[in-house]
Amino acid sequence: MFKNKFVKALVAAASIALALGTTVPSSHAANTTIQVYLSADTNIQDLWVKTLVPAFKTQFPGYDVNVTFDLHGDHDAQETAKITAAAVLHKNPGVDLIDGGFVTTLGAAGLLYRPTAGLLPNIKDVNKAVLTAGKGGIPYRGSSVLLAYNSKNVQNPPKTLDDLLAWIKANPGKFTYNAPNGGGSGYAFVQTVVDKYLSDADRTTLVQTASPDLQAKWAQGLETLRQLNKYTYGLNGTYPANNAETLKDLATGLVDMGSVWSDQFASAIKAGTMPSYIKVTQISNPSFTGGASYLGIPNSSQNKVGARLLANWVLSPVAQNLIVGGTLNGFPVIPLSKLDPVITAAFTGVDIQHLRAGYLSANANDLKSKWASIVPGK
Amino acid sequence: MALPPVLLVVAFVGLPILIGFTFSFGFTSGPNRVVSLIGQQIHTKDHWWGTFAAYRDVIHDARFAGDLILTLVVTAISTSLVLVMSLGIGVYQRMVGGRIATIMSTLTLVPLFVPVVISSWAIHTFYSGDGFMRTVFHHVGINFPTLTSTTSAIVIGTIWTSLPFAILMVTSGFQSIPDALIETAQDAGAGFFRIVRTVLIPLALTPIIIAATFTAIGILGSFTIPYFLGPNQPTMLGVEISNFFGSYNRPQQSIVMAFIVFMAASGIAVAYIWANVRSAKQSGRI
Repeated sequence: MFKNKFVKALVAAASIALALGTTVPSSHAANTTIQVYLSADTNIQDLWVKTLVPAFKTQFPGYDVNVTFDLHGDHDAQETAKITAAAVLHKNPGVDLIDGGFVTTLGAAGLLYRPTAGLLPNIKDVNKAVLTAGKGGIPYRGSSVLLAYNSKNVQNPPKTLDDLLAWIKANPGKFTYNAPNGGGSGYAFVQTVVDKYLSDADRTTLVQTASPDLQAKWAQGLETLRQLNKYTYGLNGTYPANNAETLKDLATGLVDMGSVWSDQFASAIKAGTMPSYIKVTQISNPSFTGGASYLGIPNSSQNKVGARLLANWVLSPVAQNLIVGGTLNGFPVIPLSKLDPVITAAFTGVDIQHLRAGYLSANANDLKSKWASIVPGK
Repeated sequence: MALPPVLLVVAFVGLPILIGFTFSFGFTSGPNRVVSLIGQQIHTKDHWWGTFAAYRDVIHDARFAGDLILTLVVTAISTSLVLVMSLGIGVYQRMVGGRIATIMSTLTLVPLFVPVVISSWAIHTFYSGDGFMRTVFHHVGINFPTLTSTTSAIVIGTIWTSLPFAILMVTSGFQSIPDALIETAQDAGAGFFRIVRTVLIPLALTPIIIAATFTAIGILGSFTIPYFLGPNQPTMLGVEISNFFGSYNRPQQSIVMAFIVFMAASGIAVAYIWANVRSAKQSGRI
C-alpha cells in the first residue's frame, strides 16, 4: 500500500514540476510593456526610474516601462544564464532591454539583436569605435573612474600613476580603493596598476578576448598592489567593500585620496553628501579605466519594437541632456554640439570619447579572483 | 499528512541539491548544461563516476584553507561565548529571579527584532575608524583599535544575532526544572555552583545542546555579518561561496565549497540528533 502511494506521489510531483516548467504564462501585455533590467548601483536606478522612464512615458503615453533592478550586479551570472537558457530553449527571457556590465558578454555570445542605423536612426551620431566595441550592445552613456582627493590636505595631486604610487607610500593610511569584486572604482585602480607593466598590445588583447595565458603577466602589478597593503587605509591590507564605502571614507576625512566613479562623485557633490573641498582629477600613463555603458536587446525578447523605440529615444538629444544634466552626471555618447551648451560646460577639456577600456568580463573575473588570493591581508 | 511537505522538500530542495552535487563532480550536461556554458574554469567528467578536478581546485586554492579555518574558529568561539552568556542569564533568572532578571532576559531578545543588515551596519560604524568607540577613547587619550574589517567584528556580530534564540532555549529549559529538586539539593547542603553543575545543567542538557547546534549551524552558514564586518581575505565560507559564484564566475568551485560547509554542518547535526534521541528515551517515547 505504502509503495503504491509513494509511486503515485512521485508521479504527482513530477507532473507538477513539468507543469510549472511548461505553463509559465508569456506576457500578453508584451506589446505595450517594455521590461527593462538594470544591473548597477542606485544612481543608475534613479536615472531610469526618476528621470528617463517618466520622460519617455510623457513622450510615448502608449507604452509602459517596468524596471527590474539588481544592486551592484549581484545576479549578473544568473541573469546571463537565464537569457542564454531562454535563447537555447526559445523561451521568453522576460527582459526586453538590459543595462548592465554583462551586455557585452551577451553580445559576444551572439545573444543580442544587432543595432543598425536603419532600425535605430539615432545611432548614426554615436562614436563608431565605441559602437563596435559593444558587440551588439548600444552605448548610451559614459563614465570614468577618477582620482578624488581632499584639497585641504593635498595641494598638488599626483598626475601619473607612478606619482600616485609614490604619494601612497609617502602618506601611509591616507589612500584607499574598494575591493575589486565590490565595485568598479576599486577594480579600475587594480586594473590600472596591473596594466602599468603590460604592453599596449597585451592590454588590447585582454580587453577583447579571454586570454588566460596573458594573465601570468599580472604578477608584477599584483605584487605592487600587495606591497601597498601597509600603506593603504587601515595599514593592514583591508579594503572597503564597495564604491559607496570609498566615497564615505573620503567624505568623513578618514582618507585623503581614493578612486571613485565620475558619475557617483558628481551626484554626491550635488546632493551635498560629499564636501565641496573634495576634488577629482584624472591620472595618466596609464589613466584609470572608463568607458561606455551599453544597452542590450536580447534576441529572444518578446517586445523588440518597444525596446528599439526606447533605446533609440535614449540616444536622442532630449534624453542625452537628461543623462548629462540630471542627478547622474554621466558622459553623453553623442557629440556635444547636439546638446545643451549650458549643461555640457563641465566637459570642457575632458576627452569623453576616448576612455581607456576595462577588460573583457572573463578576464576581469579572473583579475578579481587573483587579487583576492594575492593582495588583501597578505 | 506528512506527504505534501516531504514532496515539496524533495522537489524543490532535494533535487536541486542532487543536481548541484553531480555538477560538482563534472556532470555538465542535462540540467547543468546552461551553467556550464556560462561559467569559467568548468571541469567535465573524465570517468563514468565524474572527476575530482573541481575539488582539487578548491583544496589547492590558497584562499580555501584560510577561509575554512576562519569559519570554524569563528563558529567555535562565537558558539562557546553565546552558550556561556545564555547559561549565565538562565542560571541568574532561575536561581535569583526577580524584576532585574526579567528585565535582563527581556532585553536580550531585542536583537531578534533588528534585521541583520541593519545591525551589521550599526556595528560596522560603531567600531570603524571614525566610530563611537574610537572617538570616546580618543578623548581620554587611548588609541582604541579599529575593529571593523577584523575577525573580532565578525565574532561580535554573530554573538549579537545568535544570543536571543540561545537564551530563549536555555532559560525555558531551566524554568521546567521543578523547584522541589533545587530545594532538596539546598537542604542536603549543596552550594550554588554544585546545584548548577549537578542539577540545573544535567536536567536542561537537551535544550542546551539544541541551542548550541542551532547557533553553530547558523554561524557556519552566515553571510551578512562576515560580508559587512569581516576582512576582505580570509573571509567566512558563506561570503567566499558568493564571491566564487558571482564575482569570479566559478559556479563549480562554489558548489564544492557549499558541500564542504554542508558536511561540517552535518557533523554538528549529529549532536542535535543525539540530544533528541536522549530526550525521547528519557520521556519513554523510544
